[in-house]
Amino acid sequence: MHIPDGFVPPSICIAGYAITGGVTWYSLQQIKKDSNPQKKIPRASLFTAAFFVASLIHIPLPPASIHLVLNGMMGAILGYYSFLAILIGLFFQTVMFQHGGLSTLGINAVIMGIPALFAYHIFHFNNRSNTRKKIWTQVLAFCAGAGSLILSATLFTVIIITNITSELDAQTEINAIYLSLISYVIQAIIEGAFTVMLISFLEQVKPEILRQ
Amino acid sequence: MRLIIDRYAYLDSLIHRWQQKYKLVGLISLIFAFSFVQKITLLPVIVVITTVIFCLSNLPLSFLLSRLRYPGWFILAVVILLPFVAGDTIIFQWGWLTLKEEGCWTSILISVRFFCILTISLVLFGTAPFLTSIKAMRSLGLPQVIVDMTLLAYRYLEELGNMLTTMQRAIRLRGFRYQQFSRRNLKILAQLTGSLLVRSYERSNKVYQAMILRGYGYKIPQIDRQQKNRLSQLDKLNFLATSATVIIAISLTIAEILLPAN
Repeated sequence: MHIPDGFVPPSICIAGYAITGGVTWYSLQQIKKDSNPQKKIPRASLFTAAFFVASLIHIPLPPASIHLVLNGMMGAILGYYSFLAILIGLFFQTVMFQHGGLSTLGINAVIMGIPALFAYHIFHFNNRSNTRKKIWTQVLAFCAGAGSLILSATLFTVIIITNITSELDAQTEINAIYLSLISYVIQAIIEGAFTVMLISFLEQVKPEILRQ
Repeated sequence: MRLIIDRYAYLDSLIHRWQQKYKLVGLISLIFAFSFVQKITLLPVIVVITTVIFCLSNLPLSFLLSRLRYPGWFILAVVILLPFVAGDTIIFQWGWLTLKEEGCWTSILISVRFFCILTISLVLFGTAPFLTSIKAMRSLGLPQVIVDMTLLAYRYLEELGNMLTTMQRAIRLRGFRYQQFSRRNLKILAQLTGSLLVRSYERSNKVYQAMILRGYGYKIPQIDRQQKNRLSQLDKLNFLATSATVIIAISLTIAEILLPAN
């Protein structure tokens, strides 16, 4: 779900960098409000590496397999650090696997990072409402995992199909968007279920990871 | 997990000798100029520039080809699809299948632009150690929090990758088979990911304590600025190379604006 170099016009690349700059600045401001922001840097960094590695796990879905995106989970655990973590993860993917691109790093960060912040607010709605029921946590975890993937997929599909060439007619564009989104819905359900299972595991084994 | 992007960082070439900070400015401006190209007539120019830079870097061609393999599949899918769906001018028809001129040109434009940007990115990060690249970004004003997170994440990437491989081997030895999709398998994979996160969390607490013991967060006294600001002969050459690359990038952008539409 990353846009490679050369696929979208320069206006999209520039807009992507501008939005990423703004969201990065806002995230840094939120991080600075913390009582000891330095303490959380090693934790956020190791989780960045762990999520990067975990995204390489393939879920078998015969005849093919899918890999996890985990941006919703990153948002739920890392909060405002998640946007920075995604930016760094995308940079690593561009440099190490040539997946994505340097000119499109900004727009890719918007596609993956903004839904992660959305997932953070969805998941921590539980804390604000002071409801500690297990079922409620699971519902929010599913919404965070599946919702952020659907949001990322929608942004990705709309950006790439409407910008790749001006020669496509409107009906073809709409059909291509719907077709792409159908496949992503299946992935979103799996990702949502996976997030619920992962959150339940962490609640049992190390609940403080979810509370910080 | 193999992450070796800088395996040829210690070769000797003009590009290798170009200081990473200057190289970042020069080659990134070139990457953006390439992404601005929309006119077919400019494609041979960017191919020539890319070829010259790649030859100057002394990087083996096999290295470039091995890096093209993964993103190449995505490009291939688009390049095959676009000539049949985009445009109006039919150049070949076979039943319901129609090959369109505009789609063919768009495919060529996208694939050449992609190939050139990817090659320049590879030269940029393949000709210097990865840590040098991150330090160069810090000197160009990247926020400290992002620099620290990048350095630490990079430091533990390979270690956590190996940890995951060991854990996957362990669950396979206990009879877990990946081949089919089921609720049970998904739960096991979620627990595997959870264990990786728990281990990372415990490790991060120790890392933080070690960092504090080594003085993390305290400012190091600045070195003599006068000495730092004095431009050496090497700096002048670096500056010259960067200026030349930026001028090429600006010229390409101007040509893109002034040239008539395709």
